[in-house]
Amino acid sequence: MTRFQRFPTAPARLVLAWRAAALVAAALIIGLLLALSGRNVFELAVLVLKSTIGSRFGLEDLALFMTPLILTGSAVTVTSRIGLWNIGGEGQFYLGAIGAAGVGLYMPGSPIVVLPVMAVTAMLCGVAWIAVPTLARAYAGVNEIITTLLLNFVAGLLTYWLATGPWRDRVTGALASTGRIHVAIPEFWGVVHWGFPIALLVAGGLAAIMTWTSWGYEVRISGANPGAARYAGMPTRARIIAVMLLSGALAALAGMFEVAGTVHRLQGGMADNFGYLGIVVAVLARRSCLAVIPAALLMALILDAAIVLQTRQLAATVVLAITGLVLLLIAIGDELAHYRPVTPAVRLPPSAPVATPKVTT
Amino acid sequence: MKGPGGTFMTEYLKCGGYDAFRRDRLLRPRGLGRRDLVSGLGAGVAGSFLVPGGMRAADRSASDSFAPVAEENALIAFGHTGPITDGGWTTAHDLGVQAVRKAFPKLRLVYVESVPYSADATRIFRQFVAEGAQMVIATSNYGDFIKDVADRAPGVAFLECDGHTVTDNLGWFYITHWYASYIIGIAAGLMTKTGKLGYVGTFPVPSVYASANATLLGAQSVNPACTMNAIAINSWFDPQAATQAASALVDSGCDFLCGITDEPAYLRVAESRGIKAAMWNLGMRQFGPKAYVSSVVLDFSRFYVEQVKARLNGTWHAAPRFLTLANGVDRDSWGETVPPEIATRADEMRSRILAGYNPFRGPIRDNSGAVRVPAGVVMDDDTIYQWDWGVQGMTGLG
Repeated sequence: MTRFQRFPTAPARLVLAWRAAALVAAALIIGLLLALSGRNVFELAVLVLKSTIGSRFGLEDLALFMTPLILTGSAVTVTSRIGLWNIGGEGQFYLGAIGAAGVGLYMPGSPIVVLPVMAVTAMLCGVAWIAVPTLARAYAGVNEIITTLLLNFVAGLLTYWLATGPWRDRVTGALASTGRIHVAIPEFWGVVHWGFPIALLVAGGLAAIMTWTSWGYEVRISGANPGAARYAGMPTRARIIAVMLLSGALAALAGMFEVAGTVHRLQGGMADNFGYLGIVVAVLARRSCLAVIPAALLMALILDAAIVLQTRQLAATVVLAITGLVLLLIAIGDELAHYRPVTPAVRLPPSAPVATPKVTT
Repeated sequence: MKGPGGTFMTEYLKCGGYDAFRRDRLLRPRGLGRRDLVSGLGAGVAGSFLVPGGMRAADRSASDSFAPVAEENALIAFGHTGPITDGGWTTAHDLGVQAVRKAFPKLRLVYVESVPYSADATRIFRQFVAEGAQMVIATSNYGDFIKDVADRAPGVAFLECDGHTVTDNLGWFYITHWYASYIIGIAAGLMTKTGKLGYVGTFPVPSVYASANATLLGAQSVNPACTMNAIAINSWFDPQAATQAASALVDSGCDFLCGITDEPAYLRVAESRGIKAAMWNLGMRQFGPKAYVSSVVLDFSRFYVEQVKARLNGTWHAAPRFLTLANGVDRDSWGETVPPEIATRADEMRSRILAGYNPFRGPIRDNSGAVRVPAGVVMDDDTIYQWDWGVQGMTGLG
């Protein structure tokens, strides 16, 4: 008698298989709905493929989308390894952007000097922004989900204030943004700048640290079983602080790349929800630092496809619904991956009645 | 969550120009290099970043016009700042798009709604180029996000509403809405009892300064004690925030609301609180017939048809263009509760402006009391288009 039983772990190949099935199912449902609304699904599919992975233009866009997504996704993933959720990626992204823009606008010099200073300042700003939630979490047990989330709004408004107030561009005057920053991360392939390979390296480096260093081991144990970690003499609190500050720095670095690589100014709203999308990426990556890269690729594909569909008069809200559908089906697929067929080791004789446990009250 | 456009706080800049107002000095003489143009633009328009752009533009073979396109092969792309159903700004532009569709039934038109003011805008404009658009029209200011794309697609014509940059293939257009605002301001000054006007603003950007300042100056011209309280809601389309801002303004004693949001939310507030309101974008009296005074109404139909026609003929060239009073922007016919004598008085100013009078003349003081426009000096449209300070009596717009 084979039946399906839920296991606490899900092997990677099952997760991958179910996710592939989920994506196919999502594509079929979307295709069916689009066909019912009278659209030429085949033509749309060809256009989406051509504009995303089928052309150099599309590949460049994917890389630009992936750069911040990898970093904000990593920011959430590292905290999830220690059992925490940094929902404040958006705010730390803004602070990174503010720090980078402040340096870029007011520090003269050649890019080779200014860019690293921008990156370091950005990361320090991100660290400072997450410091309060971190200390509150580490010493007072304050839930970091609430504190990091609420600071996002403060950071967003702070950016608006700087961009439309003290740092306002008085040269062109029209944009609610700062002046153009005189240094930029060099581009190496079309519009793709060096932030992309750096983001890949960061994700790879984090994976190596988590897997192969004792620090990474302690982080993982502290996350998996804090009581056991403390009993083993691991400095859990110090690890929590370090991981959260690292997380803030990663999200802030994404902000710096966006300022110095693609936008070249500080603008309100420039985070484009990359901070929040980082959470989605982290969920897709299932707490693996390396899996953040394919997860960011999938998210970038969805976002890029969304832009193509919008030029075909699908409203931005329809695109949001598509994103939600894909993520829902993937979540279902992930859950299904925990189920495996099991066969009872001891077979009952076919004639014997099935033993049911007697419940006594 | 994000959707390109359906974002948390990304809604952004916009605003909007006309050929009838071509000032010769702003038009690029054929064959002249870009740097000549930049110096010709003078004042603040010539951003420092324009000059390197100009040099790049000079490097490539600077073709003055774009090859003619047959109507059936043409693809014209519009990027809108809001949903076309916003009942205001984007609806006004969409009416223009529909006029183009009617005038050129064989050409292909695509549009994207709610293009955010972020790097996503660049992606959307790039997508238009990748799909083979010969002309891309942004119905709002997208600054570098559109210029970066235009610089890399020298064969495609770009037009930006409320833009401030002109390159070989990127031009801008805008409506001179400040005259209509001034006329409505006169009615406001005569109709307010408390002398406090409320302004539902969006971002502290020049188009908002120009609109708010013009209304207040109009009001002060007939009622010197008038003041204005402005609230910036950091969005062009956020009916909820506009409603809250309008309620706060009424609570603080304002009895006449005006603003520059893309939708009619604050008119409903005015109607329910029994005060008056002047709108912007389209005639909107149906949302509050008792409160409705007038509106700065926009009509881009003729302009869009002309521009698309020029592109198809191969005669289009990048230039700054203002749409003038009665040629794309005007005040709406007066509301049912506006006393006829007040309407007549405001319309007298409209006739004078149409005859060439400019009411924006010194002395004009800023809200610290300092004279910013000396007596005898007139603010021309280029200067008003760069307005970044609030006039005396203005609070909330620094």
